[in-house]
This record gives sequence, structure tokens and C-alpha cells, in this order.
Amino acid sequence: MNSNWKWLRVFILFLVCFALQTTVAEWLQIFGAGPDFVIILVVSIAIKHGPAAGVLWGFLAGFTQDVYAPVEWLGANTISLTALGFLVGQLEERFLTLNLPAKIGVLGFGFMLCDMLYFFLTGLEKDVVTNLFFSKTLPECAYTMAVGAVVFHLSIGKKKKHA
Amino acid sequence: MLRAFRFIVELFTQRHGVIAFAFFLLVGLLMRQAPLSVRESIVSSALGTVFYPAQVIISSVNSVRSVTAENQHLKEENARLRQETYYASEGLQELARLHTLVRFDDKWDYPIVTARVVGHNPGRFLTTLVINRGSSHGVKENMPVFSMNGLVGKITKAAYTHSRVQLLVDPNLKLSVLERKSRVVGFLESVDGHLLTAMIPSHAGVKEGDTLITSGLGGIFPKGIPVGTVKAVRKSDLDVMRQMDVAPFQEFSSLEEVFVMEKEPEWIIQELLDEQ
Repeated sequence: MNSNWKWLRVFILFLVCFALQTTVAEWLQIFGAGPDFVIILVVSIAIKHGPAAGVLWGFLAGFTQDVYAPVEWLGANTISLTALGFLVGQLEERFLTLNLPAKIGVLGFGFMLCDMLYFFLTGLEKDVVTNLFFSKTLPECAYTMAVGAVVFHLSIGKKKKHA
Repeated sequence: MLRAFRFIVELFTQRHGVIAFAFFLLVGLLMRQAPLSVRESIVSSALGTVFYPAQVIISSVNSVRSVTAENQHLKEENARLRQETYYASEGLQELARLHTLVRFDDKWDYPIVTARVVGHNPGRFLTTLVINRGSSHGVKENMPVFSMNGLVGKITKAAYTHSRVQLLVDPNLKLSVLERKSRVVGFLESVDGHLLTAMIPSHAGVKEGDTLITSGLGGIFPKGIPVGTVKAVRKSDLDVMRQMDVAPFQEFSSLEEVFVMEKEPEWIIQELLDEQ
């Protein structure tokens, strides 16, 4: 595929993900926990196109989230999602032959890492972070991994068909 | 131009993306460390240019989707309101009499601006909204924002055509509240950007189901706007205070329209805000 089209497709996916995050993610909530489509997108891009693309799209996704977050926390999402894109890209490029379970594992690891980094950068108190970890991070990580499994399965199935 | 762009792309993709990571990490850290005024201008520029068209499109799609549901809801509400009109007219007569009796000072006599919500955090912590009314419509910073159900927050940044609303669940917003029955004053905040917590003196005997309203003491919000109900009462570290979870009257994630009260902070508060 022409590289310009490839980037256009990623850009459209980026827009779709944010549209899903602001609309569908709310309807899909179970006991207040919903999937994070943006993290799935950043992890997918980093796995498919490597660390440089992961960093770029992680930065753009993080900055987009930061624009709507409190001004005092500006930069927290940007840094955490940039780091996520970089680390997942490194994992894929250097260590792993990523089959479906490995991709889901990386998504879960990335989610946790991203949240921990975000909490650290926002400077929330330790007991608040502990509470958020159990009430938000863990359930939403599991939910995101389940949705990510479906997304990765569909993309692998599509690739096999083309092959 | 194209050559320069290619050079940058090649530079960023070298060394397994380490250069790109270092560059974007540095940009992120600079934003994190920048003074508040610089951060405000970054956010405001981004909202007013790149992100604004996307917000309008998403908000229009949402509006179309909600028309049917809203129509049904309005019909039901209309039926209920007809019933209530009778009781309300009776109540108004009684209220007028009571006003005279207690010399109730009606401070809610401010113009109202109706605004549509055109954007909110795509992240998991909903703390900020963007509305489609700005300084050109008379909206200014620190004006109270509320909905039909209760208090929503306040304006933190008013651009020409749009404004940012800081929601009650924003950890940076602290609010003075009043328990409706006991008339005891406490304060409300959100420590985690998710749940609302109130601290009210123990002697007030506030219990589950009691209602909190704005006290009017902060100088920004007028007295008497409904805020929420007490969901659970917990013991706090201080024996004299009770910590309680509060369920807001307005569910923030489902907000489509809000009202901005054209009330500017009292002069002493304005001076303090200007000093910050």
C-alpha cells in the first residue's frame, strides 16, 4: 500500500478512536468501567509500525486528551502515552514475535504502565492512587484487554485472508 | 521542503525511535513544567483551531442521535409538568407570602446564557467540558454553570466563540456548600477527579439522603443552587468533621445543554482572583 494512504488510514483510525472514546465507550460501561480505545490504538500502531510511529501517535493521542483535561495536568497524558508507544514498539521490535496472546498481554502491561505514569505525573496522593488503581485501573484494564483481543483477532484474521 | 520533511522523518526513525522518543518526551516535559499562563494559551489555541471542527461534528452526530430519545422524554415530562403546574401555582402564592414574611432576598436575578456542550475529555476522567458560547455571548471567566438538575461547575476560560467549563469533579475546584435542613456550612471537593466528597461539621447530624446546596460564601456561586445528595457518611480523621460521599444531581457525562449565569464574582473575590 502507498505510504501516504497508510498514514491517511492511521489518521482516520485515530479520529474514529476518539469518536468512539467520547461516545461508545460511555454506552459500553459496566459498573462504571469502560474500555479505552485510545490505548488500544496506540498499542496497535506501535506493534504494527514500530517505536517511532508509536511515539508519534502516542504523543498526538496524549496531547488530544490533555487539551480536555485540567490545565494543571497538561502534559501528563502526553508523556504517559508517548512512553507507552515507545515501550510497546521496543518490545515488538526487539524481543517478541507477537501472536494474539502476547499482543493482549502487551496491551494489559501498557495500560497499567500508562496509568501508573499518569498518576505519578499528576501528583495524586498515595491512598487516592491506590483507590483508583483498584476501582478504575484494574477493571478498565481487563475490559480494554477484552476489547483489544477482539480488535487484534479481527486484524489478524483479515491479514490471513489477504495472505 | 519535502527534503527537509524526509530528513526529519529519517532522523526520527533512526536508532529504534529513541530520537523521536527523546524529542516528544522533552516536548511533554516542557508542557508539564510551563507556567500556567503558557499552558492556558496552548490549550486555548488547540481548542480554537485543530480540535474545534471535530468537536462540532461529534456533537452534531450526538444531537441527531438524541433527538428521538429527547422527544419521548419531553412528552413524558410535558405530561408530568401539566400535573405539576396546578401544584406550582398554589405553591407560588404561598411562596410570595413567605417571601414577604422572611424578607427573602432573591439573588438569582441574573441573565442566563444557554449553551450546547461541544466537547469533553476523551480520557477516563471527565473534569472539563467545552461549550459553544464565549465572550462574544457575554460569557466570562468564573461565571457559574448549571443545568436543569443542578450545579455543573464554573467557566475557567472564555474564548471568543467557546468556553471551558471546570466541572465539580475537577480536583482543583473547591466549593462551599450548605446542608439544606440544618443550614450548616461545609465544603465540597473531588480528590480523585471521579467522586465528590463533602466535609461537614459532625454536630450538624447530616445523614444519608440529605441535600446539599451552594452556600454563596465563595463569592462565585450564588446561594441556593442544588448540588447533590449525601450518598454515604464516613468518619474522617477529624472528630469535629464528617466526611461524606455526594451524588451530584447532574450526571456530567450525559450533559448536552447547560446554562451560564451571567454573574461575575463579587469585587473582593475578583480582586483575589486577579492577584493569583
